[in-house]
Amino acid sequence: MYKIMIVEDDEAICEELKNLLESNNYEVVILKNFADACNEILLNSPHLILLDINIPYINGEILLQDLRKKSDIPVIMVTSINHEKDEALSILYGADDYITKPYNPYILLLRIKAILKRTTNNYLEITYKELKFDLRKYTLKKGNIEIILTKNEMLIFSYLISHQNKIVTRDELMTILWDNALYINENALTVNISRLRGKLKEIGYDNVIITRKGLGYILT
Amino acid sequence: MKFSEYLKDNIYKIIIYLICYSINLLIYLAFKVPKSVIISTLFTEIISLTLIFLIPYYRKKKFYNDLLLNIKALDKSYLVLETLNKPEFYEGKILYQALYDINKSMNENVKKIEKHFLDFKEYIEMWIHEVKIPLATLILISNNHRGLFAKKTKRELKRLENYVDEVLYYERSENAEKDYLIKEVNLSEVIKNVGLKNMDDLLENKIDFLVKDVNFHVLTDGKWLEFILGQIINNSIKYKKNIKNSYIKIYGEESLNKTTLIIEDNGIGIKKHDLNQVFDKTFTGDNGRVVNKSTGMGLFIAKNMCEKLGHKIHIESVYNEYTKVFITFAKNEYYDVIK
Repeated sequence: MYKIMIVEDDEAICEELKNLLESNNYEVVILKNFADACNEILLNSPHLILLDINIPYINGEILLQDLRKKSDIPVIMVTSINHEKDEALSILYGADDYITKPYNPYILLLRIKAILKRTTNNYLEITYKELKFDLRKYTLKKGNIEIILTKNEMLIFSYLISHQNKIVTRDELMTILWDNALYINENALTVNISRLRGKLKEIGYDNVIITRKGLGYILT
Repeated sequence: MKFSEYLKDNIYKIIIYLICYSINLLIYLAFKVPKSVIISTLFTEIISLTLIFLIPYYRKKKFYNDLLLNIKALDKSYLVLETLNKPEFYEGKILYQALYDINKSMNENVKKIEKHFLDFKEYIEMWIHEVKIPLATLILISNNHRGLFAKKTKRELKRLENYVDEVLYYERSENAEKDYLIKEVNLSEVIKNVGLKNMDDLLENKIDFLVKDVNFHVLTDGKWLEFILGQIINNSIKYKKNIKNSYIKIYGEESLNKTTLIIEDNGIGIKKHDLNQVFDKTFTGDNGRVVNKSTGMGLFIAKNMCEKLGHKIHIESVYNEYTKVFITFAKNEYYDVIK
């Protein structure tokens, strides 16, 4: 399980962020001692840091510079300063991404996932039951049978796999697709899901994607 | 300074002089002063009168003419004092000093207002950053507690966020200070962010978001451009037609020296007589009265921002058919060479 550290002085947002991350299978640590932030971060050695710019004692950009002298832990700046200048500076100082508040929670999760994937060994093949799923070639393999997915189906299926046995809302699926510049509408999503179901059935997995009316889908 | 006007202004001196000279003449005649003496005094009188008129005229003429001319020539006429030499004559000195004092007091006043304005600007920026934190918390809360209630809350929060951004960008775009950073930006990246931001609204209103040929690099401030496109798309959503296949098409066109981004919708369009005014402050027009949900500031701010960034923006529309917004980015050859 990945450990994420939140560096943020607003308690309310810390708590909600913690809830969000924990319900998505991350371990969460919240920085307590801002006076000695750099050391506390290094002691905890998280896999990723969510760093605000307006924090007590020193500002987030300076903390980032200090941190970069000692460590390469990925950092996402999460700030209410919506300014190209600050973004450019943060990236220059070594931030991996820059997200402005208020943000779409799914987008935050996607960015976290993308960075963790990039910095840890990127596995491009995942498995679901006896299926081998190649994310580069968009193919599903079971024994000798191979099925090719479209990019939409690939994105939907990989997201469902990473949230197996949990409800995934249509909203979440839409966000991933739009985040990949695939601006489809509600009907198209329904069509994509039923095509994906068809392809899974072909390969012997009938009814693995279950519809929960008004809520979303579950991959069993 | 006209001589005729100057003469008119001093006519009383001539009258007094003539009266005095007439009395003198009578006295001369009464005392039987010889004619040759009268003529010679007349001669000196005329010379002295002329000099008395001409010397002050030429002393003043230079100062006043420079004053009037320079006021006209300067675009900031309050700076005129800096261009003048201090006059030698008494009235001129009084005027010069008075202008100097007035100027000084006005400058102090302007400084005060400028400072007040800057303080307010700073405060607004800070306030906006502060208000975004509870906003972010609320969005997280409504996301963590799913359901219909959360969905409605999320929509209202998004509206709130839009209004807050409107103030932020209004303040930034109205300001003389450079609040932007121009660098190379990929249009498809900006459009993706705008799309994601408006995804819920677009899906809910069943508007298809059709994007093609936008993989162009332009020189702009990405955040500003996001806001500008956001305003245009917000308008398209607000003024959509009640039909099944509503769409917003976004596509780019590139030519030798410019890149144009076109945002086209099949909404209710803009009436011809409103078309020239859509970029005006607080203008809502006929459409605004129908939908009744606009501050009329969005496009005004967008236009302002485009001007600052050096982009051209214009709108074509046929009422009841379509609206097309064109944003043109100039290509910078110098930049290409450096690259």
